[in-house]
Order: sequence, then structure tokens, then C-alpha cells
Amino acid sequence: MQSNQPAFFKQGPKPLTRLLVFSVLSLALVIGDARYGMLGRVREQVSIMLYPLQWLATAPFAALHSANDFLTRQAELQAENRQLHDAQLVARAQEMRLKALEEENSHLRKLTTAQASQPRPSQLAEVLYNGRDPFSAKLIVDRGEQQGVQAGQIALDSRGVVGQVVRVQPLTSEVRLISDRNHMVPVEIERTRMRTVVYGMGRQQMLEIHNLAPNVDIQVGDVLHTSGIDGIYPAGLPVAKVVKIDRQATSFARILCEPVAEIDRHRFLLLLDAPSSRPAYPVEEAASAPAAKKKGR
Amino acid sequence: MPVTRQLLRPVSISFILFSFALALLINLLPWQAKIANLAPDFVAMMVVYWTLNQPRRIGIATAFILGIIMDVGDGNVLGQHALAYTVVAYLALSRQRLIAVFPFWQQALVVLGLLTLGQTLMVLIQLSLGAAFVGWTYFVGNVLAAVLWVPLCNLMLSHQRKPVTVNL
Repeated sequence: MQSNQPAFFKQGPKPLTRLLVFSVLSLALVIGDARYGMLGRVREQVSIMLYPLQWLATAPFAALHSANDFLTRQAELQAENRQLHDAQLVARAQEMRLKALEEENSHLRKLTTAQASQPRPSQLAEVLYNGRDPFSAKLIVDRGEQQGVQAGQIALDSRGVVGQVVRVQPLTSEVRLISDRNHMVPVEIERTRMRTVVYGMGRQQMLEIHNLAPNVDIQVGDVLHTSGIDGIYPAGLPVAKVVKIDRQATSFARILCEPVAEIDRHRFLLLLDAPSSRPAYPVEEAASAPAAKKKGR
Repeated sequence: MPVTRQLLRPVSISFILFSFALALLINLLPWQAKIANLAPDFVAMMVVYWTLNQPRRIGIATAFILGIIMDVGDGNVLGQHALAYTVVAYLALSRQRLIAVFPFWQQALVVLGLLTLGQTLMVLIQLSLGAAFVGWTYFVGNVLAAVLWVPLCNLMLSHQRKPVTVNL
């Protein structure tokens, strides 16, 4: 019956068959990507194909920015220049103090033979766009594997931590913002030196600290900076500021924080180089070690 | 397209590809996070449009490939958009003869339904992967897509309409 049909009626497999084939394929992709992360190569190939479009979509805005810069008035430039000059003076004064402290620090560290927390080289990346999907808080930046970006690098702006590079493609890479749901940053409260973890709650939402007792010593305005105990985030980078504390919420205090970095407003990010290798955990502590391991993915 | 007395010129495959590329371009624009939800999904609209108008060329396979491209562009779980577009294309294809002759404003209602269904599928996938619900504003873009459907169809057809010759 099928073979007698004229060529016009032959349309390949039925739509229902195609639907089944492709939806099963999609679900397989979802599971393979989300649970096992085994589709990196596919992603890379598609992303190379997509790069011209990404570039085309963002180029007009970049041109607009630069035209804007070009047309800025002289008075504004002068004011900005003066401001920057002042800032530089302050920074230089601080740098002098810092140098002395660094020297002292390295001396002390030598005494204790602990791992030195050296300043690490970094590179600048421009934000191409933020992902359109509201389920994830991600930025796409214009540096990729070819520029030496690696997964796990930390992204900063001039004020604080923005996020972490989670996926690297040949020409672009994805930065997961600290506000992404279930993203964790190990932090330290600057005032009291108490260590804790700050959780992302989703795009456009505040960060939260979980599981602290209602009577914990924390105040509105406290600054949280990275504690460095995870080996991924270097110590001492500002992350967030406490904006609201509800001590009656549940049996735990509900602590809301606001990122210090301007998470949804910047154009340029600084990518810190990947952390140096650390000594392995001692064997007898291996059972308790995973609890301390915080990695965004 | 609704029944008209006008004859339409055939569509070249390059025009279809160009329209898909343009839709991808619009979707990849650096939308501000606050208004990203309001932006309609132009790729999904083009999938529905070409499935209705060129069912023998554009169908489920094209929708699937476009879905993969959208997933990579957004940095999503691979397969999320692919599944949604596949199902949307199938539903459009299965009632293509009926829907294709509707007036545009009725097609707009169908488009609203199809896109909402597609997004619901994406929400279900994300929820099953442990994400939180992002609120009902996620679906607002579809209403805008339905509103934009009539002008979009007229724009796309203007390419195919012949200039009217008065004196034969």
C-alpha cells in the first residue's frame, strides 16, 4: 500500500512518530546534561556556531556605549578625572600600608609553614548578555577556552564577588551569579570573624544565611567577606551586606543579605585565575571532609 | 494564512532560514533582567508560523534543532527548549489544515495556548530538576506574543504578496 503511493504523498515518518522520537531525545538530553554533565562537546560545537549571532546581537549596544563615551561632556570628564585622582591617592596610601602588612604576613606564614595566599593574576572579560531564562542567574562573557578561562574561576567587579565561571566554551563562558539558587559562598562576618555560608535564592532575590541561632551576634550592616576555607574563593573578598534580620521567624534566624557587587549592572568583570592546588585532606578526616566542600555547579 | 483571493509567491528556503536567524538574534539581545519576562519568545513564534505555513518543509525536526540552539545560547539544561518546541511544533502540525485557514486573530489565540503549553513544559522540567517556581510573570511574554501575532503575520506575508496589477 505504502509503496504504491505517488512521491507527493511520501512525507517520511508520521508526525506522531517524530514527536515521540524527538521528545524522547530531548528528555535524554535533559537527563544526560543535568545529571551526568556529559554533553560538553555538543554544547561547544553549537556555541561556536552561535557566536556570530551573539556578537551581532550585542555589537550595536557596545557601539552605542562607545558613542556615548565619545560624546560625554568635558565637564563630566574633568569631574570624573578629579574623582579618580583622589581615589588613586587614597588607594596609594592604602597600598603602602598593605605592602608592610603583606611583608609581615608572609614572614608570619613562613614561620607557621602554612600555605601562602598570594595575590593571583586575573583577566578582564566583558559581559555579552544575561541568560534569558529566569530559572537561572547566569551571565555570558566574551572570554572562553581560547583565552585561557577555566571552570571554577571567580568573577569580581570593582566592589566584590559577582560569581563563578561554571562552563567554558571555546569563545565564551558562563558565569553563575552568587544570587543563583543554591549557590553557596563560604563567608566570614567581618566584625565578629564568625564563619558561615551565604546562599543564593534565585535571580532578583536577596541572599540568605541559613541555620543560625536566633540569638547569633549579627547586625544589620555587617559585611560578609569570603573566608577562603573552601579553596575556591580566595579569602577577604567582600560578598554581601546584611540588610534584614528576622529573629522570630522560625527556630532559626532569617538573615537577608544584599550583594556588595552590582550584580546586574556591570559591563566588565575580572576573572581571577584558578586556585593553586592544595594539599589533600588527611585520610582519617575524609569522612567529615565533604561537609566542608562547597562548590557551585 | 486565511483564505484570500490573492496568490502568493513561493517562499525560498533562504528566507525561512533568515527569519529564524533574526528571531534567534532578537532572543539573544541583552535583555534587562527586569523586562526579560515580558519579551515574547520570537523563535517559538517563528516555529509556529512556519509550521502552519510551510508544513512540508518546517516541522518537528527543525523545532528540535532550534530548541538546542536556544538552550546553548541561554546556558540552560540542554533539551529544555528542545522538548517545548518539539511539542509545540507537533501540536501545530497535527491541526495545521484547520488552524492555517483561521483569521489571524484566531490564530493568535492558538499561539497563546501553544506557547503557554511550551513554557509550562519548561517549568515542569526545571521544577523536576529542583528549581523554584519563578512566578506568574514568566507567562506574560506569551500574551504579548499573541498581540504581536497579527502584525507579525502581515509583515511576513508582505514578502510573499505580489504587487497588485490593476490593468490586465
